[in-house]
Amino acid sequence: MKEQEVLTISDLSFGYEKSRDILSGVNLSLKEGEILGILGASGIGKSSLLRIISGLEVPKEGEILFEGRLLNQKNLIIPPNKRGVGLVVQEKALFPHLTVLENVKFGIKGARSKKNDQATYFLRLLKAEKFKNSMPNKLSGGEQQRVAIARALAPQPKLILLDEPFSSLDMNLRAELRLETRQLLKRTNTACIIVSHDLDDVSSFCDKAARLENAQLKEIST
Amino acid sequence: MKLLSFSQLFWRSISLIFFSFFLLPVIFVLASLFTDYNDNWSHLINFVLTDYILNSIYLIIGVSILSLLFGVGTAWLVTNYDFLGRGWQEWALILPLAVPPYILAYTFTSLFDSYGSANEIMRYIFSAEDEKAFFPNVRNLYGAILVFSSTLYPYVYLTTRVAFLNQSRTLLESGKLLGLDNKSVFYKLALPMARPAIIAGLALVIMETLSDFGAVEHFAVPTFTIGIYRTWFGMYDLNTAMQLSSLLLIFVAIFLLVERLERNKLDYSYAGSTFKPINKIKLTGWKNYLAFTFCFVPLFLGFLLPILEISNWAINYTSESFFSNNFLSSFFNTIFLGILAGIICTSFAFLFNFLKRFERGAFLKTISFVLSLGYAIPGLVLAVGIIQFFSMLDNNFLRSFLDFVLTGSILGLLLAYVIKAYALANNSIEAGFQRIDSAVDDISLSLGTNKTKLFFKIHFPLMKTSILTSLILVISEIIKELPATLILRPFNFDTLAVTTYIYAAEERMFEAATPAMMIVLIGLIPIFFLSKIIKDSRPGSK
Repeated sequence: MKEQEVLTISDLSFGYEKSRDILSGVNLSLKEGEILGILGASGIGKSSLLRIISGLEVPKEGEILFEGRLLNQKNLIIPPNKRGVGLVVQEKALFPHLTVLENVKFGIKGARSKKNDQATYFLRLLKAEKFKNSMPNKLSGGEQQRVAIARALAPQPKLILLDEPFSSLDMNLRAELRLETRQLLKRTNTACIIVSHDLDDVSSFCDKAARLENAQLKEIST
Repeated sequence: MKLLSFSQLFWRSISLIFFSFFLLPVIFVLASLFTDYNDNWSHLINFVLTDYILNSIYLIIGVSILSLLFGVGTAWLVTNYDFLGRGWQEWALILPLAVPPYILAYTFTSLFDSYGSANEIMRYIFSAEDEKAFFPNVRNLYGAILVFSSTLYPYVYLTTRVAFLNQSRTLLESGKLLGLDNKSVFYKLALPMARPAIIAGLALVIMETLSDFGAVEHFAVPTFTIGIYRTWFGMYDLNTAMQLSSLLLIFVAIFLLVERLERNKLDYSYAGSTFKPINKIKLTGWKNYLAFTFCFVPLFLGFLLPILEISNWAINYTSESFFSNNFLSSFFNTIFLGILAGIICTSFAFLFNFLKRFERGAFLKTISFVLSLGYAIPGLVLAVGIIQFFSMLDNNFLRSFLDFVLTGSILGLLLAYVIKAYALANNSIEAGFQRIDSAVDDISLSLGTNKTKLFFKIHFPLMKTSILTSLILVISEIIKELPATLILRPFNFDTLAVTTYIYAAEERMFEAATPAMMIVLIGLIPIFFLSKIIKDSRPGSK
């Protein structure tokens, strides 16, 4: 089963201050299409873990193996733009000067027609095709989050990281988007790590779950 | 130890080179303190130095008091009261910033001299004799105080107005419930809470006053800058001029440090979730007219009066074409230099702030902070430092190896402008970057974008307004700059400021009309944008 693993993290530690680690000896593994939920209080280091996996932060120690490739060695850190890991954040961070379609096309490589088709396809899957020519500021919070997820999935990464993606949405919309995103991830066989402080996000969305406590990641049953 | 990547190393080297060009003129000035002190010092100490110091102190004290009265008084009125003309006065009160102190000084002397326009008008109205003067002589310290205060008070007005607007009604009402009347609310609550903003505005006023050369020279008030100029060009003693410059620089540095420390100590923040905007009190009767007059006087003195007088010069200047060749060449020189300096300042500000987004360490932050202090260096001191720095480069390297001389070239002028105006560019660009959520960068990188694409495809399009603002601010600042331009300009190379200065020095005021008017008009462009922001934005009141 080892060959199916997309991501393996061993003995990872990280801290913003030299004297205090917010992550220490973290281990996790994720198979293709598997969804892991990480729970924990605010400021405990959940987002930092995602930032380390995506390459936006550099760990103090430990190894990250992604698709059989070691992402961090002593003097060689693979930069975020060369990792091929999707990321969605709570703030959505849509590029305000680009239309919805241009946003989703942004990370797709290849010919223009391929970019258009692929972006439109993912917008359709996330029921966001109808406003593909709109500017992001014309969309509601839920619509913006659909676009943000479509944008992260459109380059077809093997792994997508979701940082509190549903927390700013109302309850009904949240449940709806959770379900649709899960179906999409399964359909595209994309592995996913979602961090949240909401138990519902994890229990209804994930295949397995872990809790981040005292800088350690402990697996829990869903 | 973490090794730097090649690109990090490259950009750090570029930053350091830019930083060195910024720092070396200052180091040259300060290094003069450790050289010999010649006989001219005994002359300075025995006869003139006390005057230079005392006049500078008197000027600063007088300008501070009057600027506070104008700036704080008008800011309080427009934020708390509704009165005749408040709507337009609220934005018009910053218009005097478009008029540099030296142009205001020229118009004041032209107006209030014995045979000036104002006295002529009064004599005509009252059919008085030719010798009768209705206005006191303004060519003295008091005139200088009035001129500086009338054109610089908007700095205090701008910062204080925002502070007053951000003061919650609840806080001021609490004061009233505790027994304070309107006057006491102002003195005991509003004023102390606005102190950091007032200090920030006043610091700018004081530094502009200390840096000035044109106005004090025209009014024959020997201040420290005049002392430096006279020592250099009157006594032909560059070393002593540099030593004097060092003293001024040290004073400015200490002042800046104290100002920052004081401001940090007093940095209260009141705008919270309980914020309620102030309800303006409607003034009626004589109070209505008094408030109007109080706001109108500084606006009249600092903007309307000089505009009227410059227009009067222009109308009288019919002997030659309004757009003479001399004017056109100095106009194009000014615009050329302004645009070039604007591009350099904006590019470096953009680069530093872009790199700062990805660096946690203090390296770039420190460089950027020091660079943004350049605005505080008086233009004359900067000119002294650049001349000395360039002479060293010429004598030791360029003349012998490249047969090329930097001294007297346009590069010195450009360096002075970049050092003086970098802070303006940095403020606009930094504010622009702060508006872009760092999550946008993270997402772009996670989508496979490298930093170059991030720079051009995301940051650059989002920062267009900030870039334009930066360019406009730098250009309009440079157009006004006089002392550094006067000293560093290449032979036969005039700018609008220099042309105005030369005409005014020769009392050829009518001919000074075109360049002076152009300086004010170009200076009005950023003021127009700023006025629009004031008109459209009411912090906390929407």
